[in-house]
Amino acid sequence: MTVTETRPGTAGSQPAPNPGQRLFAIPTKIAKSPLSARVLFPIVLFAVWELSLIAVEEIWPFAVDVLPTPSEVGGFMWDEFITDTLARKNLYETFFISLRRLLSGFAIAMVLGTALGLAMGLSRATNAFCHDWTMAILAMPALAWALFNSIIFGFDDRGPILTVILAGIPFVIVNVREGVRNTPRELFDMARSFQVPQSKVIRHVLVPSLMPFMFAAARYCFSIGWKGLVIAEVFGGQDGAGWTIKFWYDAHRAHGVVGYAAFFVIFAILFERLVFEPISRRAFRWRPQLQTEVVEEAFGEHHEHYGEEETARHG
Amino acid sequence: MAEIRIKNLHKEFGVGDDKVVALEDVNLDISGHSFVSIVGPSGCGKSTLLNILTGIETPTNGTVEITSDGHVAAPGYVFQAARLLPWRTVTDNLLFVQEDRSEGTKERCQRYLEMVQLGDKGDKFPGELSGGMQQRVGIARAFSIEPDVLFMDEPFSHLDAITARALRRELHHMWDETKKMVVFVTHDVGEAVELSNRILVFAKGGRLEDDIQIDLPFPRDPADDEVAVAKAHVLRKFEELDLLAS
Ligand SMILES: Nc1ncnc2c1ncn2[C@@H]1O[C@H](COP(=O)(O)OP(=O)(O)O)[C@@H](O)[C@H]1O
Ligand SMILES: [Mg+2]
Repeated sequence: MTVTETRPGTAGSQPAPNPGQRLFAIPTKIAKSPLSARVLFPIVLFAVWELSLIAVEEIWPFAVDVLPTPSEVGGFMWDEFITDTLARKNLYETFFISLRRLLSGFAIAMVLGTALGLAMGLSRATNAFCHDWTMAILAMPALAWALFNSIIFGFDDRGPILTVILAGIPFVIVNVREGVRNTPRELFDMARSFQVPQSKVIRHVLVPSLMPFMFAAARYCFSIGWKGLVIAEVFGGQDGAGWTIKFWYDAHRAHGVVGYAAFFVIFAILFERLVFEPISRRAFRWRPQLQTEVVEEAFGEHHEHYGEEETARHG
Repeated sequence: MAEIRIKNLHKEFGVGDDKVVALEDVNLDISGHSFVSIVGPSGCGKSTLLNILTGIETPTNGTVEITSDGHVAAPGYVFQAARLLPWRTVTDNLLFVQEDRSEGTKERCQRYLEMVQLGDKGDKFPGELSGGMQQRVGIARAFSIEPDVLFMDEPFSHLDAITARALRRELHHMWDETKKMVVFVTHDVGEAVELSNRILVFAKGGRLEDDIQIDLPFPRDPADDEVAVAKAHVLRKFEELDLLAS
């Protein structure tokens, strides 16, 4: 008996499909495509949501007054969208306030974290001194920072901003330090052998080699900082996205809480798509795309038989 | 004319139990339009010698001097892996090692890219090229500074046989035309015999064991009797020195 294995997708080696298989080819293709799976996700989500509400109603009728339906949440989000709100500040003012805090904290965390990361990557002593502190800050939940800072600063911008810094900075430090440790030694040696001046080496070798690490640092710092900020605003804010979700919570508006949480997600996704992805595409244009075809071109003429050299290898 | 003078060169790495002697008491003079190959088993200090000659490493003891008509010579270095800046285009990789970015310099870079048959690849990033093409960019880069001495560290060892053979020819051609000195590291005796008029044999521990002159006309065909004899001669030296086992 012979067993032949054909890997899916290897053209040419597959037997012709029989007519029966062909009939199902298109539906199967749609069912297997990542796009339809993605589209399916919200449908499944809303179906499960509605069905579980119906199920809960069967068991415990009063809960329906508390649990929000998809249409309630959608309606709430639409009202917020057109700035028709009961809260003190509308959606755009709220997110603008939070964004300002987030960006201030983010900028400070990036600058300080980069400086510390560089120092820790370059000096063993500095690394030994700062390492445990960095790990401690990393291990501390953002909630704890938010509480400390609201105790210290009360209800102004400083608490939330400091929380963003503390939540984000360990990621910046760790990434930049790794970047420094992974600088391409062989490229520095190359530059030295060609007597390239130091300033040029920093600009064209050191900085670009750190870029992927800086970028990872920025992404982490931003998303972790954002989560920290929301928590800080719940405890120590008088406005902002975190404060507003708490407002809906206190007002017993479950659809407001869910809707605002959805705004958080949308905000983070928009930022990723509109800011980080385009910058990343530009900055890492040099990275070979998977689709790029690498072709080995024939060099010069080479019609002669070859083989001698291979047999004379040593070492 | 370029000249290399190496006196009592000694190089160690590490200290105490980790100490490795990479080069031991090497004395050597190379001058003029030579094509010198350095052969020997891995770990015998070939790369270290080139790194010292190009200023990447400093000697533990002894002196090296590379001059050209009385002034300090400019070296060009082709590494075993291309060592290109992945975030710069091919053209910018060549410009990176130039002293200026004048029109004349740009034209010169383009000329050397054309010489390695990559004239139309200047705008590509290294990651978009095959390994063989990247290595050719590395060669063009070294040539583009028009160095007094060209150092090459097993430049063809990662390439497929056909590309390597074509590049060897191109290299010989360029050496012949520019009258520059080439110091070429390889562990391939056939390659050394095909290209060089002088072969230096190094042994483990970084000792220079033999200095063989090869006075055959170029181009050399490996199938040619005289070339085969010369190669057999070098291989016999290897056997005598017990280098083949390693
Ligand atoms: N930077 C370094 N640090 C420590 N040891 C090294 C270093 N570079 C080379 N060596 C050691 O020196 C010896 C010679 O290395 P190398 O010059 O690379 O040999 P080859 O190029 O002939 O294969 C080897 O034993 C190697 O391990
Ligand atoms: Mg080597």
